Amino acid sequence: MSELWKNRLRRHQLDQFKYLRLIFNDNFVLAFIVLIGALGFWYSNLLGTIKNELVIGKPIVILFLLLITQVGKVATLLEDPDSTFLLVKEREFYQYFKSARNYSIMLPVVAIVIVNFLLSPFAFTAAGMSIFDIVVIAVGLVFFKLTFLNLEMFNIYGKNHISGMSSKLIFNIILLISLVVSVYLFSSLTLIVGIVAFGYTESQNKKICNAGQLQWQQAIADENQRMFRVKRFYNLFTDVPGVNSKIKRRKWLDFLFNGIKPVQKNTYLYLFARGFVRNNEYIGLFLRLTIIQALMLALIDNFYISLIVEMLFIYLVGFQLKPYFKDVMLNMMQKLYPVSSKDKIGDFTKLSAFVLCIQWVVSAIALIYKFGLSMNGLIIIAAGLAVLVFVSYFYMPKQLKKYIDGVY
Amino acid sequence: MTLEIKELTGGYGQVSVLKKETFTVENGQVVGLIGLNGAGKSTTIKHIIGLLTPRGGQILIDGMSLHDNVEAYRKKIAYVPEMPILYPELTLREHIDMTIMAYGLDHDATWNNASELLKTFRLDNKLDWFPQNFSKGMKQKVMIVCAFMTDARLFIIDEPFTGLDPLAVNDLLNIVEEKKQAGCSVLMSTHILATVQNHADKFVLLNHGQVRADGTLDQLKDKFDMKDANLDDIYIKMSNEDL
Repeated sequence: MSELWKNRLRRHQLDQFKYLRLIFNDNFVLAFIVLIGALGFWYSNLLGTIKNELVIGKPIVILFLLLITQVGKVATLLEDPDSTFLLVKEREFYQYFKSARNYSIMLPVVAIVIVNFLLSPFAFTAAGMSIFDIVVIAVGLVFFKLTFLNLEMFNIYGKNHISGMSSKLIFNIILLISLVVSVYLFSSLTLIVGIVAFGYTESQNKKICNAGQLQWQQAIADENQRMFRVKRFYNLFTDVPGVNSKIKRRKWLDFLFNGIKPVQKNTYLYLFARGFVRNNEYIGLFLRLTIIQALMLALIDNFYISLIVEMLFIYLVGFQLKPYFKDVMLNMMQKLYPVSSKDKIGDFTKLSAFVLCIQWVVSAIALIYKFGLSMNGLIIIAAGLAVLVFVSYFYMPKQLKKYIDGVY
Repeated sequence: MTLEIKELTGGYGQVSVLKKETFTVENGQVVGLIGLNGAGKSTTIKHIIGLLTPRGGQILIDGMSLHDNVEAYRKKIAYVPEMPILYPELTLREHIDMTIMAYGLDHDATWNNASELLKTFRLDNKLDWFPQNFSKGMKQKVMIVCAFMTDARLFIIDEPFTGLDPLAVNDLLNIVEEKKQAGCSVLMSTHILATVQNHADKFVLLNHGQVRADGTLDQLKDKFDMKDANLDDIYIKMSNEDL
């Protein structure tokens, strides 16, 4: 069993490195750096304006600490066929899950350390906390995270309730109370409660798991869901195979398709438009990037940063739509349709131009809100339009043609 | 409509699965394509519909190859794949609409056909469902509806009988018979020999990517020198020849 875990982990890590390499090779990392830079810029501006302790300072710190402890799950690395092929090994899986838990603590610890580190200047000024407070609470959070990972192990064995209540909820309430007390009164409490909670769940671990039954279906579904989230994150930067996403009907948006006439030339527009609206992956991507962009433009008061954000994000959405085209082109049935590839490309370009137009209008509203109808604001809006035209009418058709020619 | 396959050689990548395969499907004929797993049935079909490019030989529909006119060639064919392939984002109704658009069919007339087929396969109350809500058999029925509502002249069905309930198999055979009466041709690959024996006019027996024998059941009996044999016996005899 431990051999199985080691093999899976090695393969998993190779996969992750492969994706990370792709991400860091891509020009997309640029977007991230700009994003982080802009946020950092905004954060340091914000810190500069805070001179005294704020009433909401402590609640904000508590909220952030509570949220960061939710980050990270047990990476079980289970696979679909396991429920058929490895059923006989069920007993021995306990050790496997234990290794999985031990591995899974690393990432949350890093997250807790980074958030505490970034939060500390704010906590010093706005919440009046000391370095000792922050460090001791951070260590306490690590123990709480270990406790939560233990709870997840129990969950794998179907033991996720304590006398009728969700055990995760109970421990979250305990965590919240400890954090409130730690931040306002006695900073070591989180650490003390954390150690006790971890000690309890750890000592009971084997007993509880043995009392339960391994919930194969649920555990595999959870792991698939987890992997899907990870891959969707990578998918923001690079193409990840096998990211299939959720579909929602969204009937109330059907009016959007009224303008598409049912003629042969529009076959693909018919498909692309519906797919874009109903596939969470693409509409989600568009909404996320558009909202982040609008927020940044509405907050940042710097001409150059706003200019870069406006141009970059419109390009990003266009770039990220490309995989959708490839997705559809992989469907074998569509290759049999008597529709020329010129029409396919034309239809997709129509969709992307329409989507980018909406994004451009939203960003323009945010810009006018911040800059008013000044010269600077208008220059940025015009630059956004230029990117839109470039992506829709030059970049996109060329890229899609390259892809189609490569496939056929 | 006639489909002619002349000395077809091809396969995936550098491996030739098919070696100089030759057979024809005549006007108004139902032809069963029969062979072991890996004999080249699906590969043959993929070449006919143009998903694979032949390395040698010719495939002609009414004397026209895919290369001569891609769109006209494709309009003549309707295909039901072994594994159903649907668009996850489109409802059943929209799949039909999309097919109508893609093939440039008349909207109302085609919908009339489609409604009848949908009723036959008991899908008429599921028009607003997404593929993810369909079982495998239902997805296969959707593929069948989308294929048979078109005005194609050659219907290619890859392993249609697995996954369908007996009632649906019967319905499908009736539809095939109807199309045959209308002068269309049907090529189907299958392992369910008892069914195909009663419903096909002609059989093509594939072995190792070559046509081992083809003809009506009587012609096959002669060739294998088995007087009272059924298709099963002939099939097993052919398979044993390798041993």
